Amino acid sequence: MPGPTEVTTALLLKALDATALRHQAIASNIANVNSVDYRPLSVNFEDQLGFARAALASGSGTLTPADVAGIRPTLEQGPPPAPGTAAVMLDMEMVKLSQNTLQYQALLKGITHRAGLMSIAINEGKR
Amino acid sequence: MDLFAAFAISGSGMSVEKTRLDVTALNIANMHSTRAGSGQLYQPLTVISQAKAGSFATAFSQAQNAALGAQVAEVRATLAAPRLVYEPGHPDADAKGMVAYPGVNVVNEMVTMISATRAYEANVAALNAARIMATRALEIGGN
Amino acid sequence: MNIDPVGFIPPGQDIAATAGLADAAGLGANGVARGDFASWIAREIGSVNEKIASADTQLQRLATGEVENLHQVMIGLEEAKVSFQLMVQVRNKLLEAYQDILRMQV
Repeated sequence: MPGPTEVTTALLLKALDATALRHQAIASNIANVNSVDYRPLSVNFEDQLGFARAALASGSGTLTPADVAGIRPTLEQGPPPAPGTAAVMLDMEMVKLSQNTLQYQALLKGITHRAGLMSIAINEGKR
Repeated sequence: MDLFAAFAISGSGMSVEKTRLDVTALNIANMHSTRAGSGQLYQPLTVISQAKAGSFATAFSQAQNAALGAQVAEVRATLAAPRLVYEPGHPDADAKGMVAYPGVNVVNEMVTMISATRAYEANVAALNAARIMATRALEIGGN
Repeated sequence: MNIDPVGFIPPGQDIAATAGLADAAGLGANGVARGDFASWIAREIGSVNEKIASADTQLQRLATGEVENLHQVMIGLEEAKVSFQLMVQVRNKLLEAYQDILRMQV
């Protein structure tokens, strides 16, 4: 009986790493909201998963742990702001912050869920 | 750890905004000071902040991102021209009866104050978010 | 006294006849298709497995960042967990019943 696969755990952990890194990028942007010549930071992660999302959407592909291992979340600098415009839009950063925090908590719930299934199986249903 | 670095980043942002707020308060307090301690007129100060001078090349790797955050580059005196007011009876009036007050633009200072407060609150929100994330991660082993 | 062997139906035979009728109807004493219990269990296990696998796929989509409804994902996770717990409890009860039967004096 094929159960939860290794690739899901690997993917969840990578996504958690990316989310934590993204929080740092957002925190840095917020800290530098009034800095001069600041280039906003962002994280490149989801774009590396283009083929994975296509496979999941079509419902046919299965990912292998090797695919997931090759993905690395990286920090990227945006372009310097045009003179006279603000580099960081505070409201957008706050929205991204909320979204990111929620994503992190959802991923954590996912990891706990899988561990919970294992624990139910191991304890034979006794709490 | 990733999230502890996030605390440091938000903390640096909070220090910068606090400094900015302090400088604004100083400017407003000295609006009507006709003579600075050294005998010269008070020049309004402004805070120039920039991103921390880390190398972003190393910050690109996940392990070394202690270089992120903000810092105060300089607290500089602006070159605002003094405000001249006609007050012949003032002890500091010059030959024409004009007294020179610091060129503090109150509207600018209020705007800076509000903006610094908003940025400070945003940094506090980022700090709280990092704290919530770390707390949830600690709860992985529980129910 | 003359006992008519033809008219006398032993109880065992009666039950066998009843059982034969029941088999023909495809129903056992508890209303479930007796001969198909094994396949029913297999079907239920398959459906629990499907729920777990679909929760897994939804988690993968969450990780790749393309989830529209967070509550769908959470409900899927909860459903998988509760179905799994139910299956484990059913398995425990079946084992208990089996052991009870083993302990019976012949």
